[in-house]
Amino acid sequence: MTSTNVSTLQSSPAPKRKASPLLAYLLIAPPVIIMVGLIFWPAIQAVIETLVLTNAKTGALSFSLQNYIGFFRDPILRENLWFTLEITFGVVAVLFLVGFPLAIYLRFSKSWIAAIVQVLALFPLFVPGVILAFAIIRFLGTHGMLDTLLRMLGSTSFSTPYLHPSGIVIALTWDNIPFTVLVLTAGLRQVEDSVIESARDVGANELQVFFRIILPLVTRAVIIVFCLNVIGVFGSFTLPYLIGPAQPMMMGVSMQQTYNGYKDHIGALTQAVISFIFCASVGVVYVRTVSRPH
Amino acid sequence: MKSKYLTLLSFFVVFTMVLMGCAPAATAAPTAVPAQPTAVPVQPTAAAAQPTAAAAQPTAVPQPTATTAPQPTATSAGPSVVNFVTDSDTNISDWMANVIAPAFHAAYPQYTLKVTIVRGIGNGDQDIADRADAALKANADPQVDVLEYDALSEQQLITDGLWETMDTTTVPNAKNVLKGIQTSPYSMPYRGSQVLLAYDSTKIQASDVPQTFADLITWIKAHPGQFVYCRPDKGGSGDNFVVRAIYEVTGKDPTLFKPGAADPALLAKYADAWTLLRSINSAIYDNGAYPAGNTQSLTLLANGSVSMATAWSDQALQALANGVLAPTIKLTQLTDVPFPGGDTMLSVPKNSRNLAGANALVNFMLSSDGQTSVVKDIGGFPAVDWSTLPQDLQTQYTSVIAKSVPDWPGGDYDTALVKGWYDNVATNIKQGS
Repeated sequence: MTSTNVSTLQSSPAPKRKASPLLAYLLIAPPVIIMVGLIFWPAIQAVIETLVLTNAKTGALSFSLQNYIGFFRDPILRENLWFTLEITFGVVAVLFLVGFPLAIYLRFSKSWIAAIVQVLALFPLFVPGVILAFAIIRFLGTHGMLDTLLRMLGSTSFSTPYLHPSGIVIALTWDNIPFTVLVLTAGLRQVEDSVIESARDVGANELQVFFRIILPLVTRAVIIVFCLNVIGVFGSFTLPYLIGPAQPMMMGVSMQQTYNGYKDHIGALTQAVISFIFCASVGVVYVRTVSRPH
Repeated sequence: MKSKYLTLLSFFVVFTMVLMGCAPAATAAPTAVPAQPTAVPVQPTAAAAQPTAAAAQPTAVPQPTATTAPQPTATSAGPSVVNFVTDSDTNISDWMANVIAPAFHAAYPQYTLKVTIVRGIGNGDQDIADRADAALKANADPQVDVLEYDALSEQQLITDGLWETMDTTTVPNAKNVLKGIQTSPYSMPYRGSQVLLAYDSTKIQASDVPQTFADLITWIKAHPGQFVYCRPDKGGSGDNFVVRAIYEVTGKDPTLFKPGAADPALLAKYADAWTLLRSINSAIYDNGAYPAGNTQSLTLLANGSVSMATAWSDQALQALANGVLAPTIKLTQLTDVPFPGGDTMLSVPKNSRNLAGANALVNFMLSSDGQTSVVKDIGGFPAVDWSTLPQDLQTQYTSVIAKSVPDWPGGDYDTALVKGWYDNVATNIKQGS
């Protein structure tokens, strides 16, 4: 009896696993079609448009890198690109300096203050970019709130970051703190308390615990935060547009300026392709990190 | 701790959603910042559209949408309807609906005004003009009698014969219109805005206020950090300052710049303007920090960061009226060649179902009552000679009255202006390095 029971248990087959892959492809078809039609195809068209020159007289098409050579020859556009890279890596560095301590605090603190800190850290998610820009102008501008407070305390050496690169860094950092803190906290949650405790047991101090235990375990989260922040900051527009200086401009502002202000369609496309190449390379790093098994 | 955090978080989310939901105007207003407050046709408003699209705001739809299609004119039993369509800012549409409509009906009891707002809908007035053109070809009702639109915006509509010719035969009060601001026979200017110098009278004595552009340059160099103008593509107050610099180096003759293709000889003269503006670059606020819009320039003036700035007349007058600018801020205009300005036009399609009413409305807008309302109620500039307005108004605005207003053609001249300014004045890179 038992043997038949056991055998029926063992031989009851699993449900049919022959679901055709066709269904799976059908399910992902709509988003893929949209992505290809609205993103990839126009992007490819744009790249081709910047690489193919039409001879004005004969109408003949020829492959040429002239647009890109022109971009790198122009000292102003070179400075814009360099400025964008400086701001991007500066902002990401500050984001880690600010976000990591916050994430570690939120991960390891058991007090109720941590809940408030978490809500505050997520607050920038709910503030639209334009509102933030004007709030920063009011707060950090000349005769703004910070300036007034400092004067009350006796300091008159305040120099406003408004219309300076430091203003962009402050604004973009504030805007990206929630994402950084969220992802780092999630990554830190995978570091178990027992690991930290055993490290402490063998006498490691705080710094050693951070650099030799925590950091290697959260590498994945750090790379994700790094890549997505770099891509986001590199292409940002609203905050640099409203808070940044007239020159040099970040790539997003420069593209808008070239297209709308100078009516230079191909120039703007060239800048877009260059931005895309940079962001795509960072994107490759991101995809490889994310798709690698733990 | 987790549930406490969740409740706190959800409270915060709901609270901010309610705040954002209750204040659509607050998010809509910043979208209008880079352009002028009123629809001045010369300035590119496309630039204003960009920041909002990129910012992807949660409340993306601005203020009131269009009303339902205007009714056809009434029968002889009651007053006939004159359909007025505008895509200008809310201050203009409110003024038309609440101030002009009753005044118009009082002056012409046989007509009543219906205001339709198309701001934020597609291409605004351009779509209405295109629809009227389609109606002309199909012999249908264009559903508009007076449109706030400059016929020169689209040559095709003029070629199709859409617009009625407006001159003293159809609109008698056109005889008072300032010389030179009616740029085509198919559109009638009815309100304008000039760029003026706004200054803090507590910091600058009336006798020290610069009267000419050359004086202004001297003043700026003598008072570093006290003057600001915004970037020319981000605000007309900055654009017209740069244009005035270009006039200065081309012999102060605005008529040299005609609409159409740009004259290369004139474009070559821009280099002198860049030298002039570069010479004051370090004397501009914060060592050459140019704000990104009209509102920002006025903000710097209002909070005392600078003591003089260029500003649109209507924006400045409205700010003075509602207390944003202190009453000690005064306005003045240059006495040699004034800063250029812009005029808003009215056009009447020939196939309007109430042509008589449409002409009556335009005539009323150009009358002394209508133009006084333009000055008093919306801080606009009259399109008519100041001498046709009440004496007390003339006295009040005596420092800003200009005999003639230069008209900058924009187009290719403007594109070269913007690029040249960014590449030569704003940048710290030496050209050619």
